[in-house]
Amino acid sequence: MKLFKKKGDLYLSDKQPLSISGKILLGLTYIILISWAVVILWPLYQMILSAFNGRQEQYLMLNDQFTFSLKHFEYLFNNTLFFKWAKNTIFISVATAILTLIIVSFTGYAYSRYRFKGKKASLMAIMLIQAIPTFAGITAYFTMYSVISSINPAFTRQVMLILIYAGGGIANNTFILKGYIDSISTELDDAAKIDGCSNLQVYRLIIMPVARPMLALIGLWSFIGPFMDYLLPKVLLTSPETYTLAAGLFTLINDVRNLNQPAFAAGGLLTAIPIVILFVVLQKQLVSGLSKGSVKG
Amino acid sequence: MEVNLKNIGKKYEGREEFTLKDIDLRIESKDFCVILGPSGCGKTTLLRMIAGLNSITEGDLYFNDKRINKTPPKDRDISMVFQSYALYPHMTVYENMAFSLVMRKKNKKIIHERVIETAKLLELSDYLYSKPSDISGGQRQRVALGRAIVRKPKVFLMDEPLSNLDAKLREHMRVELVRLHKALGSTTVYVTHDQIEAMTMATKIVLMNDGKIQQVGKPEEFYNKPANMFVAKFIGSPNMNIIEGNINNGKFEAKDGIINVRPSEKDQKALKDYEGKKVYLGIRAERFESGGQLGDTFECTIDVVEMLGKEKTLYTRLESGHELVISVPGYYEYNGGERHSFGYDIDALHFFDSETKERIN
Repeated sequence: MKLFKKKGDLYLSDKQPLSISGKILLGLTYIILISWAVVILWPLYQMILSAFNGRQEQYLMLNDQFTFSLKHFEYLFNNTLFFKWAKNTIFISVATAILTLIIVSFTGYAYSRYRFKGKKASLMAIMLIQAIPTFAGITAYFTMYSVISSINPAFTRQVMLILIYAGGGIANNTFILKGYIDSISTELDDAAKIDGCSNLQVYRLIIMPVARPMLALIGLWSFIGPFMDYLLPKVLLTSPETYTLAAGLFTLINDVRNLNQPAFAAGGLLTAIPIVILFVVLQKQLVSGLSKGSVKG
Repeated sequence: MEVNLKNIGKKYEGREEFTLKDIDLRIESKDFCVILGPSGCGKTTLLRMIAGLNSITEGDLYFNDKRINKTPPKDRDISMVFQSYALYPHMTVYENMAFSLVMRKKNKKIIHERVIETAKLLELSDYLYSKPSDISGGQRQRVALGRAIVRKPKVFLMDEPLSNLDAKLREHMRVELVRLHKALGSTTVYVTHDQIEAMTMATKIVLMNDGKIQQVGKPEEFYNKPANMFVAKFIGSPNMNIIEGNINNGKFEAKDGIINVRPSEKDQKALKDYEGKKVYLGIRAERFESGGQLGDTFECTIDVVEMLGKEKTLYTRLESGHELVISVPGYYEYNGGERHSFGYDIDALHFFDSETKERIN
């Protein structure tokens, strides 16, 4: 009855069958990966749990008692400036993302397509400057801010923050975008120029759509940045009204007067929402391979 | 439109030498001009200069009587087909073809008509709404052509457009392109390194090497009267046989003494000044006479026989070790290892100066 061998018995993998030591190593790999995943997922799980746990008071307690309740969210909405912080953060994030995209579009395209004096040197300089942490320049930023704001009062600390974020992102992102545009055939540019495009139109109508996956990624990163950063807003922004989410939520765990750790967990959970939404929206763009088929076959 | 190049030179930034120098060329209206040359000879640079994609370092470029050195590509009334096709990947075939007209803000209805008309001409109607990534290489090539045709430009520039196609399709497209060129009545400048494309398609060939024009002329002239040794070796397959020797008493005598030919009277006149001097004799593989009943002959051993169907190519060796390639009609009996004697068709001898490598007769 060997003819009726079950399909499950056939060895279908392309790799050689594992030896015993191979199997042990594979098991070990799984153990390491699973424990790693637990280390990451456990705190997240606890955070979500406590955010919805009505039994939690001011301090987070890790115990078994759980009653579903939204009271921490209510506290967050009614007793703190959560909405204001969220609004500030989104404003700063969106502005940062847009500003970064615009500037990086120009620099990335220019570095990729044009030859000019000092191209290599300036690229290296940008890279080196990037090695200095943004925070090291805080005194300089402060001076710049006070000089500019004394001339133009509309220049708020939030605008300063946006400029710092956008400026800090330019160096890295220029490199990344330059690399991506380099991989797009220059014959596309030539064809567009003959078809009647000016230099800017070549970028806007041809290169930008082709480089969209990378631009989407850069946009996403720039957007996430302000959500993640605590240090700069904490130093630069002075009144709670202007705080970003990270800085604002932190007041819930470091100040005894209004300490509320479960509310902090709830806030953290809500913070993830805009990022997740943006990610879902951009998902299609993030899938690379758009440039396939443009040249050769 | 007539394209006129006067003393054109090109030097790239950061290079010591001129890539192109003193290019003088006149491409008549409705010419199918093929710029031929080995890779790195500057032919693509020349084409890009005509297109306006590269600047012109020195000299003048005229379209008809208008100097257009500084005119941007979009105002030159040209279109170009690229080696890699350079289709816009994010646009459909229709949008690709319509793009240049859209950029020129043409009426939507006219654009639609033109695109449909061109698509019909190139048999692309079924793919108009596919993306370039969804169609085959041959179809992409036709889209690239369509994109060039749709605008009805005065000058077509093509940069090795057939080099990415398979052999069969290439043969088909060669004929298509000539047909298209005749139907559109425009001037075409076509760059290639493939001598077969040049010989079959061109009304005028420009052969370039080392940044200089070696010869300009009709395909027949290239084959039958190469201007110098480079042209002689470059054009024709198998390559022309080149033999080194001296002229003694009006007779060509090779160094090894085996090849001795008395040229035709006309050639003898031309060779008068070379009495006693070193010259090169060139003879095409098919211009040897098998039978050996006429005039001078030589003997050789056949190394390898290549059967091509309508003809046989014989790779032979003289006693001195010199190799000669001879082609004979396919039905002749020749086998490897045999010794045979061959004569020369004395009307088809090419003599070249040993120093300048220029043609003598």
